[in-house]
Amino acid sequence: MARYIARRLLLAIPVLLGASFLIFAMVFALPGDPVRALGGDRPISAAVANQLRDEYNLDDSLPVQYVKYIGGLAQGDLGTDFSGRPVSEILVQTVPVTVKLALVALAFEAVFGLVAGVLAGIRAKSFFDSLVLVSTTLVVSIPVFVLGFLAQYTLGLKLGLFPIAGVASGFSGYLLPGFVLAALSLAYVARLTRTSLVENLRNDYVRTAKAKGLTPLSVVGKHTLRNSLIPVVTFLGADLGALLSGAVVTEGIFNIPGLGRAVFQAIQSQEGTVVVGIVTLFVFVFIIFNLLVDVLYAALDPRIRYE
Amino acid sequence: MTSTAPRTAPAAQVVGGAPLLEVDDLSVEFRTDYGVVKAVNNISYTLAAGETLAILGESGCGKSVSAQAIMGILDTPPGFVTSGEIRFRGDDLLTMTSKQQRDIRGEEISIIFQDALSSLNPVFTVGAQIGEMFRRHRGTSRKEAKALAIDLMEKVRIPSARERVDDYPHQFSGGMRQRVMIAMAIALDPAVLIADEPTTALDVTVQAQIMDLLAELQQETGMGLILITHDLGVVGEIADRIAVMYAGRIVETGATDAIFTAPAMPYTEGLMASIARVDQKGQRLNPIVGSPPDLARLPSGCPFQPRCPRATDLCLAERPPLREVVPGRLSACHYAEEVLGA
Amino acid sequence: MSESSVSTVPTDPGAARGTEVADTATDDLRQASLWSDAWRQLRRNKLFVIAAGLLLVLVVMAVFPQLFTSIKTPAEGGCTNALANSKVGPSADAWFGYDIFGCDQYTNVIYGARVSMIIGVVVVGGATLIGVVLGALAGFFGGWFDVLMARITDIVFGLPLLLGAIIILNVFPSRGLTQVCIALIILGWPTTLRLFRASVISVKDTDYVAAARALGASNGRIILKHILPNAIAPVLVYSTIAVGGIIAAEATLSFLGIGLQQPAISWGLQIGSGQRLIRTAPHIILFPSLFLSVTVLSFILLGDALRDALDPKLR
Repeated sequence: MARYIARRLLLAIPVLLGASFLIFAMVFALPGDPVRALGGDRPISAAVANQLRDEYNLDDSLPVQYVKYIGGLAQGDLGTDFSGRPVSEILVQTVPVTVKLALVALAFEAVFGLVAGVLAGIRAKSFFDSLVLVSTTLVVSIPVFVLGFLAQYTLGLKLGLFPIAGVASGFSGYLLPGFVLAALSLAYVARLTRTSLVENLRNDYVRTAKAKGLTPLSVVGKHTLRNSLIPVVTFLGADLGALLSGAVVTEGIFNIPGLGRAVFQAIQSQEGTVVVGIVTLFVFVFIIFNLLVDVLYAALDPRIRYE
Repeated sequence: MTSTAPRTAPAAQVVGGAPLLEVDDLSVEFRTDYGVVKAVNNISYTLAAGETLAILGESGCGKSVSAQAIMGILDTPPGFVTSGEIRFRGDDLLTMTSKQQRDIRGEEISIIFQDALSSLNPVFTVGAQIGEMFRRHRGTSRKEAKALAIDLMEKVRIPSARERVDDYPHQFSGGMRQRVMIAMAIALDPAVLIADEPTTALDVTVQAQIMDLLAELQQETGMGLILITHDLGVVGEIADRIAVMYAGRIVETGATDAIFTAPAMPYTEGLMASIARVDQKGQRLNPIVGSPPDLARLPSGCPFQPRCPRATDLCLAERPPLREVVPGRLSACHYAEEVLGA
Repeated sequence: MSESSVSTVPTDPGAARGTEVADTATDDLRQASLWSDAWRQLRRNKLFVIAAGLLLVLVVMAVFPQLFTSIKTPAEGGCTNALANSKVGPSADAWFGYDIFGCDQYTNVIYGARVSMIIGVVVVGGATLIGVVLGALAGFFGGWFDVLMARITDIVFGLPLLLGAIIILNVFPSRGLTQVCIALIILGWPTTLRLFRASVISVKDTDYVAAARALGASNGRIILKHILPNAIAPVLVYSTIAVGGIIAAEATLSFLGIGLQQPAISWGLQIGSGQRLIRTAPHIILFPSLFLSVTVLSFILLGDALRDALDPKLR
């Protein structure tokens, strides 16, 4: 088991380097001169431009730039944006917001998704089951930003239940965007749970459990659920990784000052260093979570533990 | 392949008189989108304590369904019991409450299945699954249940039981897994054990070991054993009585030796003749021509008639009832006496 | 199973031996293949029929928008001097109202179908083609190529879809249909590769492939005739659903201002233009959102129906 983890970690390193180089290349290979963009309408004197170029290594070739960047990274220096603000500072401010949002979303999707999925699964083909299937299909079809507006409009504006933007009002400001963010995954969790449960109920060991005289609660709750939840739990784990790195649209609509909004704004203003810093963080988080999920899967399913 | 010579040991006949388990006029049908499939049609058989009854038949003849009906684990829907009673020690299982049925399952009547790998839960250890019997029915503590599980594993001769009790089903070989199933089934000393094709998925040598184990356990505990199989060799070794099933009906019953030497129904005759024997080397095999009937569209008259070498117009017109041909021998054939004499 | 009457049996006892039960059911004579079975099951699936119908309408809308509206879009010279109608709501003259420029919303929405359909088909077609070809090679031959593909797909997977698209699109000087398609194809092919590769690997070990090999079939023949038809099912299901996802992705990118730009016609752009007007002119967001959602829904239903029809376990 330990060897399995070590091997995966080792494999993750080239992936991380490859991804970050790719991002770096795409960001800094931009046509257009960021220094000139920095100046805006005012022309920058050659001396100042050169000084800026030197500071940001913009004259070096791409691979050299990258190596210098990685070097700085190893020392904890993520660089600064064009106004001199350290990228690490940006991260410190935005990461907690995004983490809170992600956790709220995870709670929503785990609780509602599992409950709906289990109830639909044990009463397969019933009215409730059809209801769950239909509503999840609808939710999956509506793009996130449309859902966001819908929620903002109905629950926020018309019904006034939740704050419609920003987190200034404290925790309640996370609820609506958290729910919107969770909506898509909630639908997946419900369907996955339901399908997994229905499939597992067809298995022979369920028949054996009944033949042993176990109560229906034990047959479903203990034997079947334990098997059915394996794919669901691993999905939730992977989804947390995705939630932490993909809330651009939701944060935009609800004006949440998190990582998603920060990276979006940075791209708009061509703040290359910020973009690379944040996106590399995303990739790192994503890879780590995928690894955790694999370990979790092995922990839950003894059959793959001994490969 | 074991020989089909009749058993020489005296059949352990009814011990103490009253039958332990009585299946009386049982019918089971499956209501599917394609029509109603009458899987089991008015079958009756009995089992006495200490006795081994073999239910013999081809795939799809309804033998497993009848066993599942006894255990109460039929998938309902689409399966429905449409007639009959299943009396265990005189009480009809079918009219009991769910709770009463659940209490009997595993405690008094147990079943083992053909594929032990899929029949065992892959995410629980074998110790936990065996121990679960005690924890459910006797309220035993987890620790004690584990100790009892180890004892049982040793009883069914799984080597290194103490070390392997925390292993998972996929870590055992096929034969060992079947032993685990058997351990689970006999844990509470049931009065009846139903073995549904227990050796079909196993190698011949392992088959022999498992059958020996079952025979031994039966001798020890005096439990009744219903052996469901299509393998005549296995039947010859261990069964006291045989009930032959075809197309959801019982078509012949009798003591094993008697049926082997002199069948009273053409289907059984065909079965006996189709076995490959050592002294047949170099000759053609004698299969029964045709294929088993579609249970959703049974022909009129005798269900075996399309494949029967002795079929007449009477067979097409009238279904032969299961009747006593000679004492102790029942047969569902209009010409049973002739078959017997042949 | 057909509802035939009781099968005919020979009444001549002497002819009983060696005679099969003649079956009047004609289904047994049909060629039972996965695809014909699947097609038959699909035809009976009501949701499939509805979804297919909806999509047909949308395709017609994309190819012949003139059939639905006679008004011209701004790009074609229509909608001039219309600012007076800016943000006016739906009426008998304009069923969907007017957008912020005063142009007829109904026309905009109809023409929006074209962009979405094109992107959906091109991106998924391209990504599937690349993924299937590379996946077949990786799965069938294995070796260094497989390892290389695994690493490359790992890297692409590490990028969240939206962010990856944003970054890639940022590289291009202008953003139009082509660029969006390229960006989404780049991000999309790894998934089809993984899917198809897994499928190929499981089919590779089957007995019928071994039989084909034993009969002397070349690798190419095995891949094309035996492996491809049997391994393609999961990819087909995924691709169908993915079209919906890609259409949604393009809409999201355009909404964010990173995808198509004005004056292109895209549902995403239309929704984006109306986002701050949600209180005063909700119709600007409503109609494109409706069409977008229905389109994505249709593809999902189609994919689901396809999955049910092709899943051997559900027979």
